[in-house]
Amino acid sequence: MRLIQSKQNPPQEKHQNQAVFALLLIAVIVVISVIFNAVSGGKFLDGTNVKIIISHIVWPTFVAWGFCFLFACGYTDLSVGAILVLGSFATTILGSWLGYPGVILGGLIVGILLTFLNFNIFAFTKIPSWIAGISLAMIYEAVAVFFKVNKTTETLIYTEMSKSLRYLGNLPWSVIILAVGLLIAYIIYNKTTVGLNIRALGGNKDVAKALGINITKTLLMVGLICGLFIGIAAIIQQSIAGRTLVKTGLTSINMVFQPLAIVLLAQVLQKRLNIIIAVPLCSIIIFAIFNLMTIMGVPSGTLQEAFLGAFLIAFGIIGQRGYKGVVK
Amino acid sequence: MNTDKMLEIIGLNKYFGPTHANKNLSFSVKKGEIKGLIGENGSGKSTLISQIAGLYSSDSGQMLLDGKPYSPGSPIDANNRGISIVMQELGVIGSLPAGVNVFLGRTKQFTKNGVVSLKALNKAAAEQFEKWDLPKVPLSKLTDGMMIETRKIIELARALSVDPRLLLLDEITQSLSMNNRNKLYELINKLKAMGRSVIVITHDVEELIRITDTITVLRDGEVVGDVVSAETTPDEIKHMMVGREISGDYYRADTTPEYADKVVLSVRDLTVPGEIENVSFDVHESEILGFCGLSDSGIHSVGKAVYGLIKPSGGSIHLKSKDLMIKSASKALRNNMAYVPKDRDNEALMIRASIHDNFVLPSLTELQGKVGYLSPAKLKKMAQDMTDKLSVKCTDIYQTIDALSGGNKQKVNLGRWLAKDIKLLILDCPTRGVDVGVKAYIYFLMKEAKNNGVATILISDELTEVLGMSDRLIVMKDGAVADVIRRDEDFTEQSVIRVMI
Repeated sequence: MRLIQSKQNPPQEKHQNQAVFALLLIAVIVVISVIFNAVSGGKFLDGTNVKIIISHIVWPTFVAWGFCFLFACGYTDLSVGAILVLGSFATTILGSWLGYPGVILGGLIVGILLTFLNFNIFAFTKIPSWIAGISLAMIYEAVAVFFKVNKTTETLIYTEMSKSLRYLGNLPWSVIILAVGLLIAYIIYNKTTVGLNIRALGGNKDVAKALGINITKTLLMVGLICGLFIGIAAIIQQSIAGRTLVKTGLTSINMVFQPLAIVLLAQVLQKRLNIIIAVPLCSIIIFAIFNLMTIMGVPSGTLQEAFLGAFLIAFGIIGQRGYKGVVK
Repeated sequence: MNTDKMLEIIGLNKYFGPTHANKNLSFSVKKGEIKGLIGENGSGKSTLISQIAGLYSSDSGQMLLDGKPYSPGSPIDANNRGISIVMQELGVIGSLPAGVNVFLGRTKQFTKNGVVSLKALNKAAAEQFEKWDLPKVPLSKLTDGMMIETRKIIELARALSVDPRLLLLDEITQSLSMNNRNKLYELINKLKAMGRSVIVITHDVEELIRITDTITVLRDGEVVGDVVSAETTPDEIKHMMVGREISGDYYRADTTPEYADKVVLSVRDLTVPGEIENVSFDVHESEILGFCGLSDSGIHSVGKAVYGLIKPSGGSIHLKSKDLMIKSASKALRNNMAYVPKDRDNEALMIRASIHDNFVLPSLTELQGKVGYLSPAKLKKMAQDMTDKLSVKCTDIYQTIDALSGGNKQKVNLGRWLAKDIKLLILDCPTRGVDVGVKAYIYFLMKEAKNNGVATILISDELTEVLGMSDRLIVMKDGAVADVIRRDEDFTEQSVIRVMI
């Protein structure tokens, strides 16, 4: 019998390589944490600070997983931030009526329904998704204003969630949800027909179509899957923060800046580590940097973001080294 | 009803807008028959087999499979009826592993409780490679970055994995090197022995006659001939294809190398780890220097490395005419070098852009005015002149490239460089997927460039092509130069094959 599987790349070895790389990355995070701790005079690895970092990576990680599916099929949706805002509002409103079931249902229903609606619009109108996404973001922001719970200024809207409904944002619940999310995202992305079809669609739509993949159905499935992760993110976000602020004029896009940075970082690592696994590790790296800068008194909104941008570029350059994108 | 006929096509029509692509086509394929389909680019071959494979619907006419009406709604539908296809330009999904590509669209058979078992999928894919004796492919590796030949083999495995009763092969031999072509011929014979049928499209007339039982010739969407392969000749086929005699000077008629003493490019000890090692050669003014070899010989890497597309770990590329070292593609382009890659859709052409844009882009510097202004009229004239000169079959110069047939794409691909003042031209499989008429025209352009003093590096998987056109031929083996043969020496297929293997 001839061996078809190449000796240099059997599946088991590939998985071992990924595990080694993941462990290496975790080791790097630990070393960086120790350095950060030294720089911050012991404040970085203080128990409370570590809890803050862990709590705050959960919802952006879920949004980043949603983005993984979105980008894998070759689409961009800039209304995700506005959906997060509406989802957060829904958790509060339904939570106040129905308790925890309302919190969960509010986030999931809004996340799934709106993202599904978006993908219907992308699939059937053929409008470029980034253009349709901006339009939808403006509509969703306006809806958020309409459903305001309290109002402090003419344009600044916030909802406030009762403390008794916010346990899902606390440890250990948020980490348990994160672990379950990782498992679900990993399986859907790598080990389901719909996950493979989504990646095929982003890889080459014509080939996917020729192989009998139903493009519209696959796109709608992306809406459902992406919506599920955004819905969960909305629940966790509202549970941690307790309130959500939004202005009109596309400011909701700010909410997805950090998840976007996480996905970009994870894409750089993708050659060596499965993107779904890379996402939470990249979340830790990015939030650790933000946290250290906050401890060190670096002003947020300006220098912190500038530093993150520079970090992403540097990471991208390192990640692309030795990459052969040329087809022979 | 003749039950020997596996597939019968009666009066099939297909329109693309105002274009009548297939006109009342009728032909049939018997069980165990190897049917050749040939015609000029744009004659309707690919459209016809796309209709058979369920990629396109038919506007009128009828298809019968085993005597029963056959009208596939999708490729999966065709697969379920025992028909599969390997398309010329379709390809694989780069972001998915090779094994997944083999069963993409049909992964449900490996799914249990909603989860796809990649282990079972890869095992089944390996079994397909084993069953059909296909060359080794790393199944868990992403196909992104794999050689075009490897990707084509994955596509072939995908088509074979449905255990087809009728296999449709659309110009795949020209993506394969000589050793893998032989494997394909063996596969076709195996299928025939199993009572399966194959429809083969290729522009290599001699090859088509050699490997098929019967040949159907198409011209302008119509069947113009149906012949028994053993009873026909290449000239008869070519005549039916184009409707006139093809003149005898297809390749060069001379038997002596003719080029100037002046060295245009000097390559010394060029090494790209894992691909080529210590490759050295000179190419002279007016010379066509051929490169040939088996699939892992490294010939394609030579072209890329010389043009600066892949960074060598050692060696030098000295552009003697300008006395400078080539270290990047932009530097090569700035210094009158041009490169026409093998994979024109992915590496050469802006496939979604217009013919106009593809023609003018490489020449913007020459076309711009004193303050950098690009006159739309000037750009249009240039694109129109080139389209007319090269006889590109199109609706107008604003038609997108992806709507053109393979041969017309290649005319644009090659012609846009010939419009410039090029001193060194690197051609990697320039006639891949083009018909005899376009082929003859490309050879004419190469001869014209040679007469104008252009030095050409011709890399090809087709031995007849490099033998027909080169002044000297470098035969490569395992990434190194195995031999250099001059046109006036033992310049035959046999002598080259001896060195190659």
